Amino acid sequence: MSGERHGRPDPEPIGRIPPYLRLPPAGAPPAGTPGREPAERSAAPRPFVLTAGRVNAIDPEIDVETQVTLRPHDPRVGRVPVASLGPEMQAMVAMCREPTSVAEISARLRLHLGVTKILVADLRAAGYLDVHVADTLNPLSYDTILRVMHGLRAIS
Amino acid sequence: MDFARSPDPAGPPIPVKIIVAGGFGVGKTTTVGSISEIAPLTTEAEMTEAAIGVDHPRTASLKTTTTVAMDFGCVTIDRSLKLYLFGTPGQDRFGFMWDHMVNGALGALVVVDSSRMDDCFQAVDYFERAGIPFAVAVNAFHGRLEYDLAEVRWALAVNDRVPIVTFDARQRTSVRDALLVVLEQALVRAEPTRTF
Repeated sequence: MSGERHGRPDPEPIGRIPPYLRLPPAGAPPAGTPGREPAERSAAPRPFVLTAGRVNAIDPEIDVETQVTLRPHDPRVGRVPVASLGPEMQAMVAMCREPTSVAEISARLRLHLGVTKILVADLRAAGYLDVHVADTLNPLSYDTILRVMHGLRAIS
Repeated sequence: MDFARSPDPAGPPIPVKIIVAGGFGVGKTTTVGSISEIAPLTTEAEMTEAAIGVDHPRTASLKTTTTVAMDFGCVTIDRSLKLYLFGTPGQDRFGFMWDHMVNGALGALVVVDSSRMDDCFQAVDYFERAGIPFAVAVNAFHGRLEYDLAEVRWALAVNDRVPIVTFDARQRTSVRDALLVVLEQALVRAEPTRTF
């Protein structure tokens, strides 16, 4: 056992990979970030342009404090090249080399929270990010609360 | 491959959160900033007040979209536990947002300015109904209060089990103590359901 699977989420893609992040079947370049239509050039694009207008596809498991990390690349699993991701997604991939919360991604990239959640879910489906949802399921145990209290008391 | 640093074998920290709620200008951001180890960050969430869940061009004109700002900070508790503090707007119409925010929260601190207590009614009412452990913290601007705590309790009509404390949002240890009061409430709530 290499220990590589320790606590790691399942390597299977989670969720549906949006069409623009799928590997092209016959070597054609991927479609690129959705919503990159000339129409958006007029003024500042509205927030959900980046998600091709999707506002409801939010994975309910992804919370504001949910930790996101870069998924180690498995050469056996194909994924679209980084360069074909939109600039926001490339920035997310770069940020998540260190564990980062969804809220922090949203704040640092100046993206709406809802947009951030959708793009994170897309990158997870595309094999770039691991979303550590299981770790947030029951943080409310007696012992967790005691640990938080202990940690706070150390602050002076 | 020299592309990425090897990930921490222990994995990312487990995040926990406490909500800091209250009306406009009561000191939520100051509270978060006093104890956070990073400068408070602001994220924006888009609220659709009508027709939630409907995404159709023909209904677009019926929707009112509001952007609300939310400040947050964090405190590293230990190697595997990280506390996040989220300062959320207190108005009633953001109830939809709160449902998302408080999911999984350890508890909430309702920050009150004693000279305009009506600003925090919504928050108190929300956490009471949602069964979230919370405490009321009266921000003592310039070290004094307009009313004493008994008057505040009476005015807010909170029951005796809800702690009401005074604190100074600018003081790190004062914020720490107010958060500990919230956690004591959470502890009381967690004990009966202990399963092992």
